[in-house]
Amino acid sequence: MGVAFVAHCLLNQNSKVDGGAVCPGVYSPAVDLLRSRGWRIEQMPCPELAFTGLNRFWGVREQYDTLAYRRHCQRIAAGVAAAIAVRVDEGEDVVLIGVEGSPSMGVCITSSDPRRGGRPSWADGSGELSAGEGIFVEQLRWELEARGVRLPRIVGITRPLPDHDDAAERAALEAVLDA
Amino acid sequence: MEGDSRSFRIALTADRHVNPAAGDIDGLAVLTEAGWGVMQLPAEDYPVELGASLLREVAEQVEEFSRRGYDVVLVGERLGLAEALAAVGMPLPDQILPATGDDLRAFLAARPAPEASRLLG
Repeated sequence: MGVAFVAHCLLNQNSKVDGGAVCPGVYSPAVDLLRSRGWRIEQMPCPELAFTGLNRFWGVREQYDTLAYRRHCQRIAAGVAAAIAVRVDEGEDVVLIGVEGSPSMGVCITSSDPRRGGRPSWADGSGELSAGEGIFVEQLRWELEARGVRLPRIVGITRPLPDHDDAAERAALEAVLDA
Repeated sequence: MEGDSRSFRIALTADRHVNPAAGDIDGLAVLTEAGWGVMQLPAEDYPVELGASLLREVAEQVEEFSRRGYDVVLVGERLGLAEALAAVGMPLPDQILPATGDDLRAFLAARPAPEASRLLG
C-alpha cells in the first residue's frame, strides 16, 4: 500500500510528557487503521524526549523555539528525510502522521503562548492551542524541500485536543490515506 | 503520574516484528495487547550509514528511558544496535528472538515491575 512515517508516541505513549499518555503503549486507533489497510509503519524519533527528557514540563512552541532545539530537530529531520527519500525512490506512497496540539509534532494545530515561562501556574485550557505546525514538522518540511522531495500527505491524530472525536480522527486519517 | 496511562515498559522491536512478512511473528500485536510501548528499530534495507544514524537517535532515547527506571527489552535483533547503545554507555537490554507469539507473551509476562512504576506510577 505504502509507508506511513508516524510520530514516535503513536507506538510508544511512554514518550509523552507526564499526564499525556492516553494508553499504556501503542495508540491503537491510528495504528490498527494503518495496518488494516496494509500500510507499512516506520516510527520517527520523539524530538522532545531526547532533548528535554521524560521529566519535562508541558511546553509551548515558544519555549522550544531556540537555536539549540532547532539544531536538534534538524539533525533528526535529516535522518527521517533521508529515510523518506529512500522510500520515495522505491516508488512507495508515503504519508506522515503527526500529533495535533504538539509544539513539535503538530500538523495544523500547535501550542503557542508567548507569555508562558517561569514558574508554572497556568491551568489547563488556557488557550495555547493555535493554528500552525510544530517545530519538528516544520524542520522536516524544510529538510525534504532541500532534498527535492515533495512533502508527503500529512495529518495529525487529534487525541490530545480537548474537542477530540474518535470518528472525526478516523475520518481524517482515512481521507489522507485514501487521497 | 495523575491521569497518565503509561506502562513504563518499552520494547526495542525489530522492523520485521512491526511490519511482519508472512510467517514472521507479529510482535506489534502482542506488545499492544500486553501494554508495552514500542521503539521500532530501523529497517534492515536502509543504507548502512542511514541505519547507523537512525540507531543513534534510538540509543539516545533508550538511555533516557533506562536512566529513569523504565523497563527496556529487545525483541528481535538489529545489526549495529549494540554499537549505538555502547556509544551512550548502554548495554544491550534483555533480548528475545521469539519463535512464536506465545514465546513473546511469556517473556513479557515474566518481566519484573519497572522501577519507574514503583516510584511514579
